[in-house]
Amino acid sequence: MPETATRPEELVRISYDPPPGDWRGSPVEFRKGTFCHAAGAKSVRYLELPNPRDWQPTDQDWKLPPNWKEIILAGMKERLERFRSFRLFMDICVRCGACADKCHFYLGSADPKNMPVLRAELIRSVYRRYFTTAGKVFRSLAGARDLTEDVLKEWFYYFYQCTECRRCSVFCPFGIDTAEITMMVRELLNLVGVNTNWVLEPAANCYRTGNHLGIQPHGFKDSIDFAVDDLEDLTGVRVEAPINRKGAEILFVVPSADYFATPHYYTLLGYLALFHEIGLDYTFSAYASEGGNFGLFSSHEMMKRLNAKIYAEAKRLGVKWVLGGECGHMWRVIHQYMDTLNGPADFLEEPVSPVTGTRFENARSTKMVHICEFTADLIHAHKLKLDSRRNDHWTVTYHDSCNPARAMGLLEEPRYILRRVANRFHEMPENTIREQTFCCGSGAGLGSDENIEMRLRGGLPRANAVKYVRDKYGVNLLTCICAIDKATLPTALAYWAPGVEVGGVHELVGNALVMKGEKERTTDLRGQPLGQGAEAIHA
Amino acid sequence: MAGISPARKHAMAERWLALAVQTYPVPSRRFLVDQRDPFRNPAGQALRKRIPELVEELFGEMDAGKVGAALEDLMRLRAVQRFSAREAVGFLFGLKTILREESAADWETLARWEERVDELALAAFDLFMRFREQIYQIQADEARRRVAQLERMYSREG
Ligand code: SF4
Ligand code: SF4
Repeated sequence: MPETATRPEELVRISYDPPPGDWRGSPVEFRKGTFCHAAGAKSVRYLELPNPRDWQPTDQDWKLPPNWKEIILAGMKERLERFRSFRLFMDICVRCGACADKCHFYLGSADPKNMPVLRAELIRSVYRRYFTTAGKVFRSLAGARDLTEDVLKEWFYYFYQCTECRRCSVFCPFGIDTAEITMMVRELLNLVGVNTNWVLEPAANCYRTGNHLGIQPHGFKDSIDFAVDDLEDLTGVRVEAPINRKGAEILFVVPSADYFATPHYYTLLGYLALFHEIGLDYTFSAYASEGGNFGLFSSHEMMKRLNAKIYAEAKRLGVKWVLGGECGHMWRVIHQYMDTLNGPADFLEEPVSPVTGTRFENARSTKMVHICEFTADLIHAHKLKLDSRRNDHWTVTYHDSCNPARAMGLLEEPRYILRRVANRFHEMPENTIREQTFCCGSGAGLGSDENIEMRLRGGLPRANAVKYVRDKYGVNLLTCICAIDKATLPTALAYWAPGVEVGGVHELVGNALVMKGEKERTTDLRGQPLGQGAEAIHA
Repeated sequence: MAGISPARKHAMAERWLALAVQTYPVPSRRFLVDQRDPFRNPAGQALRKRIPELVEELFGEMDAGKVGAALEDLMRLRAVQRFSAREAVGFLFGLKTILREESAADWETLARWEERVDELALAAFDLFMRFREQIYQIQADEARRRVAQLERMYSREG
């Protein structure tokens, strides 16, 4: 316990320069609750990645290949040549500090290496040492350091404390995107077999059966049929949910959690009700049964492999275009990478809403439309009959999921929908939403059980803003459009802002949607009685 | 116990805050104290808001509800910030030194205040343990939600 008190004004000034001298002084300590388990040999082998073995970050010996250092440096060289952005991001940071206090992990942990600028410095220092003249000659004087096993361990620790959310990049005057740097470092780590199970196991499953849990086609069909039955119980309307139907106009792709997890499932019920009501000619695919792409969190090659199945299925089924559900990083992949990875999808048509005739010109090249764009357009054209009172038991706020917000600019559509399907809607403070939204703290493959403490640190800034609207307006539902949000925000809120539930935008659409031939609705899609005021639920 | 001016209380709270902040790494301390926007600096602002409340109660009624709410916020935060129980709670004892240095109170009054500090620390320790346990609970709840619908389906079939 420190005995001497320092007055706030005496506290040291922050320097964003790398710490002087040798950094090797303090190797990272892998403490329970703050890191993800290593990938098991089985998944590594299945994905044909290097150095499959069983190991854990807490082991002294990580069983790296003997020439690991050459592999990493050669990998760096190759990527510096291949990705102009990577070299630029290594070179141009002026350490102004604008990004320093913008990362949710920094705000929750106060660990300086979670400042984006210092996170990037972990690899920049190695870049300087081996790829710049000053660094080669002046070493630590030029902020350069040798690549050692401790450095590698530090990379693993801190680049798996970045959710690739890109909040920091919004504030950088040079547009340096730390998320891209994180992606590069994770790729490099993969070259020597340093990876996490939470990322590779779902990726392996996805590669094998098409979704993260490894559910096979008959299991997928059972799940969807089960949802159809549930929806009938709730609404009295029997809908069709076609799977692998050739010649359908639209292929619909959702994150797999929509059909096996809570609260995602209520959003799935919402989609099914909506498509029935407008008579959409669509199909699911049992192989493209996963929007999520954990390749984004390991390597470009893996991302390409997993993404390819969407177009492959679109082609096989002969659809005209693709509609995508409430998924987060799927949209980042589609918006920023799909076209170059697996496109152009010339065999598809420019998406046109069969109900309103609206042409989605923004999706001309990927041929894939976001469900919120689609539904907002339906509402705008008065094609839906909505009874927003059916959501009166919710006082709603909206969390901009990082990827749809920052990677594709989908800011207005979800809000447009929410304001029409719910009567009580309140925004969180301006500097925590839209482009400045705070991450859930569990994205980019960090959402594992064992990483819980780190995730709670990262979830603090988001949950803190939720708590504010809970206390001010009585908000009891946080809506969002990302499967990882729906899985992990209930946990963060249970801890930081108890009393607030998490739901999807299309869950509320499903509640409000008046369907032809429906029975009198007495419950919402969760089976909770309607008309029960927010207060009652809150109590 | 009368006679502690608001200015004194403020000075004590500021010193106590500085003590709490010293449990964080050097490059982060200034930010935690200086950034006043609660949305840009939720951790630092929790400290800044709750510490003066505790000082107020210490010299006042020791209202259980108010003390509890303040300590809860502080311990909820510190329970996930890499502190051991001892480190999480330790800074509270620093108030004793501050009391001795900042007040001209007699020995008896000081002893009574110090007892209150002990009370705060014990309550904080309990809360810290409670939040540590809650972390495991919410983790288990999340794991269940992750496959909740599949399980419902299988149990209906079974
Ligand atoms: S804001 Fe940009 S230039 Fe400034 S320190 Fe951060 S990354 Fe470097
Ligand atoms: S987690 Fe987000 S804000 Fe933090 S460094 Fe990574 S991309 Fe930047």
